[in-house]
Amino acid sequence: MSGAPRSGLLRALAAVADGPDAVTPALVAALGLPRAPTAAEHTDLLTFQLHPYASVHLGPEGMLGGEARDRVAGFLRALDVVPPAEPDHLVALLHALADLSDLAAAGAPRADHAATVLLHEHLGAWVGRFLARVLELGAEPLRAWAVLLADVLAAELAARGAPEVLPPALREAPPLSEPEDVSAADWTAELLAPVRTGLVLARADLARAARQLELGARVGERAFTLRALLDQDAAAVLGWLAGEARRQAEDLGMVERTGGVGVAGWWRLRLAGTAERLDALAAVAAARWVEA
Amino acid sequence: MTQLDRLAERVDAARAATEARGETFYQGPSRSHLAMFPPKERWDDWVELDSKAWPQRVEKRFMLVPTTCFNCESACGLLAYVDKDTLQVRKFEGNPESPGSRGRNCAKGPAVQNQITDPDRILHPMRRVGERGAGQWERISWDEALDELALRIRAAITTDRHNEVMYHVGRPGEDGFTERVLAAWGVDGHNSHTNVCSSGGRTGFQFWCGIDRPSPDHANARTILLISSHLETGHYFNPHAQRIIDAKHAGAKVIVMDVRLSNTATHATEWLAPYPGTEPAILLSIVRQIVRDGAYDREYVRRWWNWQQYLAAEHPDRPRTFEAFEEVLRDLYAEYTFEMASAESGVSVAQIRAVHDAVVEAGPRLAVHSWRSAAAGNEGGWQVSRTLFMLCALMGAIAVPGGTYPNAWNKFVARPIHLPHHPAAWNELTYPLEYPIAQNELSFLLPHFVEEGRGILDVYFTRVYNPVWTNPDGFSWIEMLTDHRKVGLHAALTPTWNETAYFADLVLPMGLSSERHDITSYEQYDAQWIAFRQPVLRAARERLGETITDTRQVNPGEVWEENEFWIELSWRIDPDGSLGIRQYFESKARPGEKLGVDEYYGWMFENSVPGLPETAAAEGMTPLEYMRRYGSFEIQKGIGPLHESTVDPAQYATDKRVDEFGRVYSRDPAPAAQNLAPTGAPDPDAEGRRPVGVEIDGEVKRGFPTPSGLLEFYSRTLVDWGWGEHAIPTYIRSHVHPSRMEEGQVPLISTFRLVTQIHTRSANSKWLDELSHSNPLWIHPTHAATLGVITGDLVRVETELGYFVVKAWVTEGIRPGVVACSHHMGRWRLAGHDHTHRLNSTTVALERDGSRWTMRPEQAHGPFESSDPDTSRIWWTDVGVHQNMTFGVHPDPVSGMHCWHQAVRVVRAQDGDRAGDVHVDTDRSRAVYREWLGRTRNARIVSPNGERRPRWLIRPLKPTADAFRIDGPVGRRA
Repeated sequence: MSGAPRSGLLRALAAVADGPDAVTPALVAALGLPRAPTAAEHTDLLTFQLHPYASVHLGPEGMLGGEARDRVAGFLRALDVVPPAEPDHLVALLHALADLSDLAAAGAPRADHAATVLLHEHLGAWVGRFLARVLELGAEPLRAWAVLLADVLAAELAARGAPEVLPPALREAPPLSEPEDVSAADWTAELLAPVRTGLVLARADLARAARQLELGARVGERAFTLRALLDQDAAAVLGWLAGEARRQAEDLGMVERTGGVGVAGWWRLRLAGTAERLDALAAVAAARWVEA
Repeated sequence: MTQLDRLAERVDAARAATEARGETFYQGPSRSHLAMFPPKERWDDWVELDSKAWPQRVEKRFMLVPTTCFNCESACGLLAYVDKDTLQVRKFEGNPESPGSRGRNCAKGPAVQNQITDPDRILHPMRRVGERGAGQWERISWDEALDELALRIRAAITTDRHNEVMYHVGRPGEDGFTERVLAAWGVDGHNSHTNVCSSGGRTGFQFWCGIDRPSPDHANARTILLISSHLETGHYFNPHAQRIIDAKHAGAKVIVMDVRLSNTATHATEWLAPYPGTEPAILLSIVRQIVRDGAYDREYVRRWWNWQQYLAAEHPDRPRTFEAFEEVLRDLYAEYTFEMASAESGVSVAQIRAVHDAVVEAGPRLAVHSWRSAAAGNEGGWQVSRTLFMLCALMGAIAVPGGTYPNAWNKFVARPIHLPHHPAAWNELTYPLEYPIAQNELSFLLPHFVEEGRGILDVYFTRVYNPVWTNPDGFSWIEMLTDHRKVGLHAALTPTWNETAYFADLVLPMGLSSERHDITSYEQYDAQWIAFRQPVLRAARERLGETITDTRQVNPGEVWEENEFWIELSWRIDPDGSLGIRQYFESKARPGEKLGVDEYYGWMFENSVPGLPETAAAEGMTPLEYMRRYGSFEIQKGIGPLHESTVDPAQYATDKRVDEFGRVYSRDPAPAAQNLAPTGAPDPDAEGRRPVGVEIDGEVKRGFPTPSGLLEFYSRTLVDWGWGEHAIPTYIRSHVHPSRMEEGQVPLISTFRLVTQIHTRSANSKWLDELSHSNPLWIHPTHAATLGVITGDLVRVETELGYFVVKAWVTEGIRPGVVACSHHMGRWRLAGHDHTHRLNSTTVALERDGSRWTMRPEQAHGPFESSDPDTSRIWWTDVGVHQNMTFGVHPDPVSGMHCWHQAVRVVRAQDGDRAGDVHVDTDRSRAVYREWLGRTRNARIVSPNGERRPRWLIRPLKPTADAFRIDGPVGRRA
């Protein structure tokens, strides 16, 4: 077994994100995780709460696919690699990084540079935000996995260095639209797109908002739940979201470790801007409520 | 060394240790999410939460047992989840070890669960007790059924009436198994459904390369060109579709020619909707442009086309040089300009040019496919696949990555334990003299042949086949099946009741995907693999230490599997071995005893599948245990261009002769073939030397299994057998070409199907029924407006035999001036029958007045009480119309393919019409039969050698040389 020093480790960490059945006892022991996550813990975190896709975190729609996924696929095609069905899934990205590391170790001419680009643009731009939320929402073995993955990516980044430009997905990221410029449904969806607001909102967050605001949480997709909350008390919910943006802005340590130059600063600014904007909208909504 | 580096080392070491034990350490990224599977080392004890116990988290333990799907030909891998508490199958999912399907299935795979639990399935042998078709049955034992069949078959064989026994197959099982059973009996009685299916497509490929199916390497193609979507959304849907999507991800262009906006067309880069049957005009216009521009692979054409033979025959005055051939080629297709093709097809010049550009850009990475649809719809449809494959032949896109392979190179048929001789008599009911070069049996003409007194069927097996419903002209089939003078004993071997079984004498329950043995191998990428279909409960109980010797011990009721059935029947036909039949069904290990399936497959896996014994041994298993464990085995990957392989000089050391076109012959014996996949079998030379290969640039290459050993641009066979006008790829105007239509007629397309449907067995799959259950008439808004109909209105579709009544579906997804109706629906059961299938079928009354037949729906489909509570929840009533009843038989005079497209008139329904009404006059069907028979060229007139058929063409059960003579034995009473 030859290759780059950490390519096997990257693949093993990928397996943990792949699914509960991919996490074999041998793999858990080798990684030194406290135990294997149960199927329920795995599904709850990586299917229901958080979505380990670049497109979800970097796409203006906050959804699977679209330009954010095409960007990864195009990157792989440029390397003559046939993109897998979900090229922007964290598992696929970690495997691609491992493969490129192996190729670089074998002396392939473009592989080292390609690995750096992949790390900076397609992983580093978002994975810190995702891992931070894993630390908050995940079960013990998944939290341990997140810390380990951040360590490895940070080490890779330190070893490779990163370009002194923001990843394109962040450079080109549109902000939150004005509510009057788009439909209510679209605006709600934008609130759930991390790259527009800086916020990574899970179902658990919306449930927390409902509890704290004493509103009814309707069960459904996140957009449905959030819309229902806004319909009940827009001012309160917008205010809560502004507070949540400030709270999440205080927890950018993972981004600082795994993102390249300027990445953490970008997320901090976006969260701050969102908090300010949502506060203003909350005030308007509250005034309308008073008038009504 | 940092802590992380030490961790990385530990992970690498753990991986090495784990994989050394044959276990999985981590899976690749392709296995993320929906494509993730239980690791194989956990297949003995797989734990899932019981969905029925939700919200409690109750663990269920399963044994996972592989088999292969039987619901289309592609044989995708399935994993049966066998409940360890009850030993019942709880569900089916994909088998990740299957190299073709790679763990993925279409809707038909999981629906096997519906089929095995279908409340109306046949569980015991049944014998008719009233008149045929009256619906009265009694349960009998297998012994009674076997003895009755054996007695009649033995009598036929011992009185030299071998060919009054016929086996008519729908869904094939194991390659060659039943052919060998018939051969052991000396019966040339194999009758397939292929002439209502794929003969047209096969013919075009066979005339080029001697192999009748293509194997497109979709995944590596730069351009994928599909004539119709039928295959990719219906047949090899799953293995091909997933590779087409792989190619799209890699940037390939997908071009689909289809009159309808099919599922595949919605994924296409270019969707062309040509007038039906004009596809060859488009393809030849692309050929013309490529040739004029010199954009083809000149060296490939020079080396591999039989251009010298063409020049010698058609241009003897020209120098026999490649440059002279190129000159001729430039002129040959001069009339096929883009403008001409556009005028003919209705597709714009710009779009045809775009397809041309994509073909040229692809170079050798051009994957093409044509199976049914255009090739199966039109008179001359066989030229669709022939002109399509011509593009590959021009671009050098044959048997190279991303190109199109001959299927026999991507398929493996293992040598069985016994190989009987070929039958000594020719069956004229399947291969009549009028169709000497038909690709397959003229199966759908059987009622007409019998009606004309060409023979009778003393014993007629329909096996997972429903000709009354599937074939055109179904009322003629009913007339034949209900006439005891024509059919002595009809045994329906079927898992489910169907429209043909209603008219049988014996109904014998056969196993479904998880209840039978078969070996299968299909062309799905550039490799050779085999898959093992097996009774999963047999394998499960054997894992628990039981010994199973008869699959009926584990199957539901008395459902049997076929191999054991045929072995048992053969022993009863020849109990003492005096007929020479029994020897082929005896154990080798225990001479004189009956062969069992474990020995049959054990011998095959041990002796005939390269690499399998070694792979199994590495896991401490026998080859049979390995196949029962994993369900499939990839023999070899990356087969490549076999035609380019150099022949061992030892093969032509004795009396070598090279003919003027480079064909090399020798008297040295052929090496034993490992792979029995069907190919053409070129004739020896006049002195009896065997064709060994073909000499190219001084080297003897294996070449193609054609008479010339080359790709046959020019077919000497077609010239010699009376069809010289089609010696090269041409465009034949279809029987539904505008010039052949009467005022007010439009083409009806009936050759498409829905991706979630199984030909005649969907009706017993409740999930598939719920997904799609009716077949409205696709009609363009402009056409609908002229009739004044909207979606849901009833229309009459008038054919040459009668009419059917159907609901209209107004859609822009079809070319204006063409209508279409899926062939899946319109299942029916007869009023008053106790034993029928109730799911997705209408209760009908059949009325007959001389030759006039009427089918009237009496009771709509709806909920009913059964052992399955879901049948009381059926919410739909419209289950479509049985349109095929109203279609006359249209055998293509060359390929023999039934040309499905119909010239019809669509009118508003009349007062009293009901959806599903069918009216037919079978006198008209006989007239249509005679009209098409008149287009044939009889072997008595055109045969160049006094034989019935070119010997080199593929044919099941190829009879002995004597039987090929026109006046040779026919094996039936005078």
